[in-house]
Amino acid sequence: MSAKIISFPHIGSYHVPIKFLLNALAGKGNKAISPPPITKKTLELGTKHSPDFVCIPFKYNLGNYIEVLENGANVLVQTSGGCRMGFYGEVQEQILRDLGYELDFYTIDAERGSAMDFYKAFKDINPKLSITYSIAAFAVATRMAYAIDGIEEFIRKNIGFELETGSFERMEKQFLHALAQATNVIQVGKVYREYLLKFQALPICKPSNPKKVGVVGELYIVMEPFSNYCIEKELAKFGMEVTRFLTISYRLFSKKHTAEYVLKNTGSYLKYDIGADATDSVGKSLDLARAGYDGIIHLKPFGCTPEVNSMPIVQRISQDFKIPVLYFSFDSQTSETGVKTRLEAFADMIDMKVASQ
Amino acid sequence: MKAYLGVDIGSISTKGVVVDDKAQILAHEYLWTEGNPIHAVKRVIDALQKQIDGKDIQVKAVGTTGSARKLIGVVLGAQTVKNEITAHAIGTMSRVPDVRTIFEIGGQDSKIIILEDGIVTDYAMNTLCAAGTGSFLMSQAKRLGLAIEELGEMALKSQNPTRIAARCTVFAESDLVHKAQIGHKKEDIVAGICNAVVSNYLNNVGKGKRIAAPIVFQGGVSKNVGVVRAFEQVTGSDVYVDEFGHLMGALGVAVLAKQSGKEQNFDFNIQHVEFITKGTECKKCANNCEIIHVYRGEDVLDSWGNRCERGVSA
Amino acid sequence: MKIGIPKALLYYKYRIMWRSFLEDLNCEVVVSPNTNKAIMDTGENYSIDESCTSAKIFMGHVSWLIGKCDYILIPRIESYANGDTVCTKFYALYDICRSTFPEAKFICYNVDYAHHQTEWKAYKQLGEALGASVFHTRRAYLNAKNELTVYEKILQSNQDDLIHSDNLKVLIVSHPYNIYDEMLGTPIIRFLKDLNVDVFFADIPDSADMCAKSKHLSRSMYWHYNKEIVGSISHYESIIDGIIFLTTFPCGPDSLTVELLLRKIKGIPMTNLVVDSNTGEAGLHTRIESFIDIIAEKKKRGDEYVG
Repeated sequence: MSAKIISFPHIGSYHVPIKFLLNALAGKGNKAISPPPITKKTLELGTKHSPDFVCIPFKYNLGNYIEVLENGANVLVQTSGGCRMGFYGEVQEQILRDLGYELDFYTIDAERGSAMDFYKAFKDINPKLSITYSIAAFAVATRMAYAIDGIEEFIRKNIGFELETGSFERMEKQFLHALAQATNVIQVGKVYREYLLKFQALPICKPSNPKKVGVVGELYIVMEPFSNYCIEKELAKFGMEVTRFLTISYRLFSKKHTAEYVLKNTGSYLKYDIGADATDSVGKSLDLARAGYDGIIHLKPFGCTPEVNSMPIVQRISQDFKIPVLYFSFDSQTSETGVKTRLEAFADMIDMKVASQ
Repeated sequence: MKAYLGVDIGSISTKGVVVDDKAQILAHEYLWTEGNPIHAVKRVIDALQKQIDGKDIQVKAVGTTGSARKLIGVVLGAQTVKNEITAHAIGTMSRVPDVRTIFEIGGQDSKIIILEDGIVTDYAMNTLCAAGTGSFLMSQAKRLGLAIEELGEMALKSQNPTRIAARCTVFAESDLVHKAQIGHKKEDIVAGICNAVVSNYLNNVGKGKRIAAPIVFQGGVSKNVGVVRAFEQVTGSDVYVDEFGHLMGALGVAVLAKQSGKEQNFDFNIQHVEFITKGTECKKCANNCEIIHVYRGEDVLDSWGNRCERGVSA
Repeated sequence: MKIGIPKALLYYKYRIMWRSFLEDLNCEVVVSPNTNKAIMDTGENYSIDESCTSAKIFMGHVSWLIGKCDYILIPRIESYANGDTVCTKFYALYDICRSTFPEAKFICYNVDYAHHQTEWKAYKQLGEALGASVFHTRRAYLNAKNELTVYEKILQSNQDDLIHSDNLKVLIVSHPYNIYDEMLGTPIIRFLKDLNVDVFFADIPDSADMCAKSKHLSRSMYWHYNKEIVGSISHYESIIDGIIFLTTFPCGPDSLTVELLLRKIKGIPMTNLVVDSNTGEAGLHTRIESFIDIIAEKKKRGDEYVG
């Protein structure tokens, strides 16, 4: 039997922990590889073979799959989710088979975020896999995700004020490279602490009361910078501190403990959960408004049902708290210049408001 | 006397104004971009110079806005390069200080700006298609065998505007043909088109926005009295169209250039200076970023378009 | 008390049950009229641009009911079992309407079996909100449920009667709120009947049976309303000449479901009609007519093309 080469779709910088985990679980003789970085070609490929009005994360995922199959992958994994994302896997597998690719396809129900979900799926690929080993590998991957989320939070808050252009991005690359070398929890912790200090040592010029904006919205678009035209870094260029709650560690580990609280916290705005991450979009928008943020950016794929559900409610919050909200929908035709023009106007609007106070 | 130059370069038209330090217009020009922004700007600059020729006017700062703002900003050595949303808001406020709502429908895009106490609080731009913008009106006028200028007056004659589905240009056209064939009067169809432009606009960019008076309507389509009337009917308030409505972006960016505090005498003699733009595709990764280089003669003035450092040396 | 029911979305599934239950509890029921251009336009005005057309129509009906009743009934449905959920639009409609129409009053019941909120529990709470005793509510609920079942059985037997006819048989695979809407499916059904085609409706066969049968075509489908209609394809496979999918733009579940089915089903001619508020009838007629021509030709040539 030939070696299994396992791959997965990109999302942000999480290919480091995902690759680590899949590699660990793959077993002897098998390995995991990352798809090539997302480029325009990835999206073109994905769009070409996707149904017309499916949401754009599907197209990015499919593009990743095709590119990585061309690089030799023969086992693909997908996770399920709370909206139509949960059905991505079956349709993508069918499309790839219709294109003539030979592959095994596994959809992992990672909704509960436990090592057992992966153990169950990988038992099939690697019959020798033990539960304890899976738990250990999962723990390392989890720590990696937390490390990425911690570092990225620091970046979002400070990159807008860097003195030397590009210093944060260079350091981010070094960090991810170092993180990928780690093989146990202790090493991950060491890399994290080391780089947090290195980031803190980068020279910045940050006012004591900077303009602050929060990013809310759909998980993929929020987390994959390519798909949102690096919106967080673009915002930072206007000298803003950027906050976001939605990260892998929040999504997989915190959400299940806080969901009830988030819903309750929306008070009269929501009585029920409105699907996928949309309840969070409402809850976090309300938090940002209450915390006196200067603005909110709401991101989603075109036609994303849960996030479309959240919009009328976020609009009410915006009116009640007089906090500006800028909405973006991304599909394969979204113009980058259009996005930038509107971001620039958003920054001007906030500046004018701050100046008038 | 100190003066300030503002230039607004859109995909369809190019506008320029020279204002004094109280934002009063000293000279203005409006012409078609014809797909060549650099040439259009040279013509605008030339026309403006002729208008202020012989007067004691020294332009101290330059601002650019519109879709080619960056390119023209480099060409003119502008102190201020601003997006058209902010520029329009500032320009309009210099004419109508208490404005609350700005409707703008241009050739290919439209926007809405909501202001409160002299600051922008909300805005939106059309994102998906050109239905309901100037180019839509233009093609429909052509289809009906009318000049674009005739549409407005004709719409006013209608007693019973035809309902036209105008969410999408393609659908609207087939609907229009259908309505004409079953015998609707031409003026009713024209009024229907004007209503469709308005309802499409309000449904698209105006969705969820708090529209309050005073309302100012600008952009090329504001010259159409039929559309103005339709806006007034739907909003229930007067809709003000400024005679200089088409110049608001240029005016705004001139004001912003003045506010920038940076001053440098502007030399109007650029007609004979050769500016060249070159677009190259960076082949260093599959992104194929399109990188634009602007040359003044032999010298590279600026380049942009690369997404990563790989493109810088290209 | 006057309760308004929007004639859209789940109305087409539960109208018999709602009316029976509410009237039993001494409520007067007001139903909005058939969808028309004005309702569609209003719905469009009150919806986020990217909502699906079916949901936009719903908003138009809600707006029509405001001022004509004391409360408007908007159920909230999340799941019918663990892993058997519905489009998130049904999670959110109640809250969307509260934000969109702050001046109106809404009444809701919440069905979510995955979180132990059964249909009976939901109706019990609804009855309580309407001031009825649990005993009265229980009786009204069982009666209403029974009436719905009887009604569904009649529809099933009527549809089964068609199986032996010699006409062309086309299965309409779509959600009931699209099939029976005056502006979406009805004109298409009428046109098919004019062409002498027998129309089979995917939503009519027994729900539990269809959900089970949907496994033949999709192993992982978890949308209850999609399973119901997908199952009907396996159910009628042997007797139908063609399948028409009817989807409203940009329906999330259907965008993937239809793609999968178009790829998986072999041997039955299929066409996918995507409609929105702009779709002109003329264009649709041309497409349907040519589709019917194709399946008629195929039937005439007999078995040589089958399979």
